[in-house]
Amino acid sequence: MGVFSILRDGLARNRLLGLILAGFALFPVLSGIMDEPFWNDLAMRIMLLGMAAMGLNLVLGYGGMVSFGHAAFVGIGAYCVGISQFYGFDNGWAHIAISLAACGLLGLVIGFLSLRTTGIYFIMITLAFAQMLYFLFVSLETYGGDDGMSIDRADFMPIDLWDPLRLYYLIWAGLVIVSLLLMVIVRSRFGVVLEAIRGNESRVEAMGLVPLHFKITGYVISAMICGLAGALFASWQEYVSPDIMHWSRSGELMIIIILGGIGTMAGPLIGAVAFLLLEEWLPELMHLVAPAYAENWMIIFGPVLIGVVLFARGGLVGLLARIGGRRS
Amino acid sequence: MSFILLLEQIFNGLQFGVTLFLIAAGLTLILGIMDFVFLAHGAQVMIGAYAAASLTALTGHFYLGILLAIPITFASGYLLEYLLIRHLYRRNHMDQVLATFGLILFFNELIRIGFGPAALFSSLPPSLSGFVNILPDTPYPLFRLLVIAVGLACALGIHLLVSRTRMGAMVRAGANNETMTAALGVNIRVLRRLVFAAGACLAGVAGMMLGPLTAVEPGMGEPLLILSLVVIIIGGIGSVRGAFIAAILIGIVDTMGRVLLPVILRSFMGQAAADGAGPALASMMVYILMSLVLVIRPTGLFPPKG
Repeated sequence: MGVFSILRDGLARNRLLGLILAGFALFPVLSGIMDEPFWNDLAMRIMLLGMAAMGLNLVLGYGGMVSFGHAAFVGIGAYCVGISQFYGFDNGWAHIAISLAACGLLGLVIGFLSLRTTGIYFIMITLAFAQMLYFLFVSLETYGGDDGMSIDRADFMPIDLWDPLRLYYLIWAGLVIVSLLLMVIVRSRFGVVLEAIRGNESRVEAMGLVPLHFKITGYVISAMICGLAGALFASWQEYVSPDIMHWSRSGELMIIIILGGIGTMAGPLIGAVAFLLLEEWLPELMHLVAPAYAENWMIIFGPVLIGVVLFARGGLVGLLARIGGRRS
Repeated sequence: MSFILLLEQIFNGLQFGVTLFLIAAGLTLILGIMDFVFLAHGAQVMIGAYAAASLTALTGHFYLGILLAIPITFASGYLLEYLLIRHLYRRNHMDQVLATFGLILFFNELIRIGFGPAALFSSLPPSLSGFVNILPDTPYPLFRLLVIAVGLACALGIHLLVSRTRMGAMVRAGANNETMTAALGVNIRVLRRLVFAAGACLAGVAGMMLGPLTAVEPGMGEPLLILSLVVIIIGGIGSVRGAFIAAILIGIVDTMGRVLLPVILRSFMGQAAADGAGPALASMMVYILMSLVLVIRPTGLFPPKG
């Protein structure tokens, strides 16, 4: 199958993802009409987190490798921008190239060392590498240490990012490219083998393939996608600190994927939408119902997550599919 | 660096190590026997610390507070298993991660609502706040010494319980092959609940002992959870003996690293740079140690047989 027919096929199979991407494309019109520029800011954050989660989902959902350290790649991607600027290097496209190269290389090394282990041991060794990088950046006083470093909005020639809306569509374009790329990967021979490894590694080996090669390749691609999200994140936030690599951020990416639906195309993005909207709306809801406890919205958020596990198997995508199935 | 300071730090490391062991002992059994990824174990530490601190304040007696807090931690583990956890055993690891992450948020917020966001500081009774000479002219805080003693006693108790009693044999058999153990007539559901409650109780005791040494605050359990996961992985999942050795190792490496690394760094870089980089590098050492262990032995130092 050629790339274009895979894409056509992929879009037909992933209407939900196509729908969300179209929604994000049209969203600034809505926020423009409502005169709520803050909404665009939230939407950019959702897209960036969704992009990183999609990257992680390639290994976690499709490859069955539960990496608990992917925030490190997001962080490295962002720091590549900050450090490049620190040395007076301003071109945004070059920043992205540097981020991709650095995360790819790092993914190769970490993947090579970690993929000898499986199961919970793999979860923990990926966490270990992420923690090392986190503490490394805490200790690098040159690049701000604990306090982080501020970043100027990079120079994406010929696009001038003075208008925040242009940054919005730059991020959107990145998200679309990542989505299309993942569609092609998942439907390709490589993607099929990756899923087969998740199902039964020894059978794949018995067919004469080397599972490790596929797993490492998947790990590198996923690290690079997170690096891209990180590089764009740096431009959006105009600031980067080690906090972006904290283990709880890696956990957040995992939570977003599980919430949305593991191993589905649209899951990570839906998860990011739900996660950040809950984070945004629950405090306001609490403010209306019980003003004294408005700051304690997590008392609701926690049980909501537990409820998703108990009552919505397969995450929100599974829930949507069941609702859709019942209707038709 | 004097010998006395070094000795003091070894004792501090030992004290931190046994505390970690108390947290890790239950968690390694929960992960090993039940194959359950329980991220909210750190919340049990927090519950123990808060129960002891508030009951001590309420009754005015440190020992009475501790004595009353222990059954509370046991009950909290028992209830949690009964209400939620038992419905999640058959789910995959990722569902367990999401649900127990939700539990962390819930418990931290519950404590924040009940006790406020600020840290509680509990003071020691006069009988425990003194110093003891561990060597001639080498005073060491009595309470820390007591923590080491309690931790070692608990470790011995757990060892005897697991390796010498009928109950322990059931637990070990369950870790090895759950279906076969159930077929032999062991009520695996009750066994699980008891292991869970005992694990919560041990974690709670760790929290009670940390209370007077550190700040008791919402979210205090999560850094400890991560460290005790490191301990479990180094020791080998499901191995209590492995958890003990790894906990002492991590406790000493972490404590010594924090003290020694800045001193070592100062000898070849500026004072300010060394003080900035030292603590961060010390924190890295634990993870470097774990990844070295895993690269050499991918299933930890003492992988359970079977």
